[in-house]
Amino acid sequence: MDNLGKVMRVNLTEGTVKTEDLCEKTVREYIGGRGYGTKVLYDEVPKGTDPLSPENKLIFANGPLTGKAAPSAGRYMVITKSPLTGYIASSNSGGFWGAELARAGWFMIIFEGRSPKPVYLWIKDDKVEIRDAGAIWGKDGHEATDDLLAAVGDSQAKVVCIGTAGENLSHIAAIMNDKTRAAGRSGVGAVMGSKNLKGIVVRGSARPPVQDAEGMKAALASSMEKLKTNPVTSQGLPTYGTAVLVNVINQAGGYPMNNWQGAYFPEADEQSGETLARDFLIKRYSCFGCPIGCGRVTKLGEKIGEGPEYETIFAFGVCCGVAGLEPIIEANNICNELGLDTISAGVTIAAAMELYEKGYIKKEELEGGPELRFGSDEAVVYWTRKMGLGEGLGKKLAEGSYRLCEMYGHPEFSMTVKKQEMPAYDGRAIQGIGLNYATSNRGGCHVRGYTISPEILGLPEKLDPIDIESKPAWVSIFQNLTAAIDASGMCLFTSFALGADDYGAFLKAATGFDYDGTETLKAGERIWNIERLFNLREGLDPLKEDTLPDRLLKEPIPDGPSKGMVSRLGEMLPNYYKYRGWDEKGIPTAEKLAELGLN
Amino acid sequence: MIKVLFFATIRDYTGVKETEAEGPGTVMELLTELASAYGSAFSDEAFEEGEISDRVIIMVNGRHIAHTGGGNTPLKSGDTVAVFPIIGGG
Repeated sequence: MDNLGKVMRVNLTEGTVKTEDLCEKTVREYIGGRGYGTKVLYDEVPKGTDPLSPENKLIFANGPLTGKAAPSAGRYMVITKSPLTGYIASSNSGGFWGAELARAGWFMIIFEGRSPKPVYLWIKDDKVEIRDAGAIWGKDGHEATDDLLAAVGDSQAKVVCIGTAGENLSHIAAIMNDKTRAAGRSGVGAVMGSKNLKGIVVRGSARPPVQDAEGMKAALASSMEKLKTNPVTSQGLPTYGTAVLVNVINQAGGYPMNNWQGAYFPEADEQSGETLARDFLIKRYSCFGCPIGCGRVTKLGEKIGEGPEYETIFAFGVCCGVAGLEPIIEANNICNELGLDTISAGVTIAAAMELYEKGYIKKEELEGGPELRFGSDEAVVYWTRKMGLGEGLGKKLAEGSYRLCEMYGHPEFSMTVKKQEMPAYDGRAIQGIGLNYATSNRGGCHVRGYTISPEILGLPEKLDPIDIESKPAWVSIFQNLTAAIDASGMCLFTSFALGADDYGAFLKAATGFDYDGTETLKAGERIWNIERLFNLREGLDPLKEDTLPDRLLKEPIPDGPSKGMVSRLGEMLPNYYKYRGWDEKGIPTAEKLAELGLN
Repeated sequence: MIKVLFFATIRDYTGVKETEAEGPGTVMELLTELASAYGSAFSDEAFEEGEISDRVIIMVNGRHIAHTGGGNTPLKSGDTVAVFPIIGGG
């Protein structure tokens, strides 16, 4: 296992750094990344731990393929107990930081404790230092990145850090790397802030070896052919980025408007990938080793930034009733600088707009800021900044939609699952994605099981979005496969062209273990179940919490192509539990746990 | 009148974002008309061996035609037809 790198354990309370060997059995069973990290968290963080206390652990984990020759294999994951949901957090990011960590010879970093003062970690191959970050604390992520690179005297090093949102312990704070890539969801940035850890700078000089170089070469040849000929990975994503989805989701009547009070936006084309490409795109951005290049480098005025992605356009755009791309790009840039999750930030502003328009947030609370009205460009930009700085009403917004709405006595306006904001697809119009949101281990999330692919895009099969019979099985399989891909270090977007067998071939070459498609999916199922066990230990009540907001269950979509639809979650959930080998209360059965080696 | 919307790279073939059609009773008839109007680039994308190609997503009033009868999906005045290339994202 030496080729995968070592485990670094940093105790920030004591200021110590230790090196540990990887556990081969854990790699075989949980692969790495999201899987290995969750296994460590499950074993080491006791039930009931306060997510922002020194007892919580913050894990940065590569997969066996991170930094290797496999396509789009630059991903790392952050695993911790979430301050937003109280359950498992595992946030994924690309860019170049994870690959650099692999080049330095590290597979994973486990942070424990809390530093008595702000610090950053400087890793140069096997040399590791905990350094003072007093002069950098308080700076946004872009300034901090520049300062950290200057401090280590190596402009080629890679930086992961938090902005002011993480320092302020915002429950929706992201961890940023390479300035514009985010391990965005579930408030992982607040956990980093709670540990007084501003950043991690890494520089590696080795080329990470693989167990079977010939096997890797063969897997690469086969996969590259598929990626090059697949219309999504060779044309759609490179040309328009993820924002190409705006029009198709809107035309399907599943584009959540005004905090899910509608699902069709007549002005959608103004914020589409087509418009972004025409008016703002400068060039594409590719993460480490990625042949797809879905990232967008955009220019607004004199400012050059990256994005926005589809999800961000939804969150600051349609969800807030905003049509044009300018305020969305500006809000996206603010989130990248201050370190906020764009989905949670936009959806929280949308909830605040509903609270304001219905009279629950009073005008005097705005302290002269723009009124929180749907469609206000000015409000979206202003309140995003206030949220990231934790100022005035922005401090309440920085707690996320659920806590905000609860503060005002109206949690029904919070469009969240397990207290995490839902992404850009309406589960009333697209039944499978609603089931996926409801059952996602990290709360409202589309990339746990992206059934939009078969339900709307027709890949790999054309599923009817309003059908409910087929969805429990599809959601389960997609959730398992995604867990395995997240654990591998490869990007989920490769799955538009690749299947479980392809990932199995890469994992076999990298680790030497007998992975194939079946074993890869089995590892994904094991990961899904240990995440579930983590949540159950933390008190998850499935029958109350594997659900969707009442708005999706009871309020029919008012107009557009999906007029009249509600989520039929109640009919799908029992079959989902059954398909998963869980009992009728959503608890994994003893037989299922034994089958997965989790008993 | 049937409203026809074009998206993403399909716009490169049509040169317009939308058009209207009068008369076609099915999606296949509509696409045949469009192929005649917009030439081989559109036609090559929309058709494969005489059938509607898997490289396009076609929705009628928000429903993918795979679930409404494919090329035989009936059209009537007031319908909206959306034509996309195969796309993805997340």
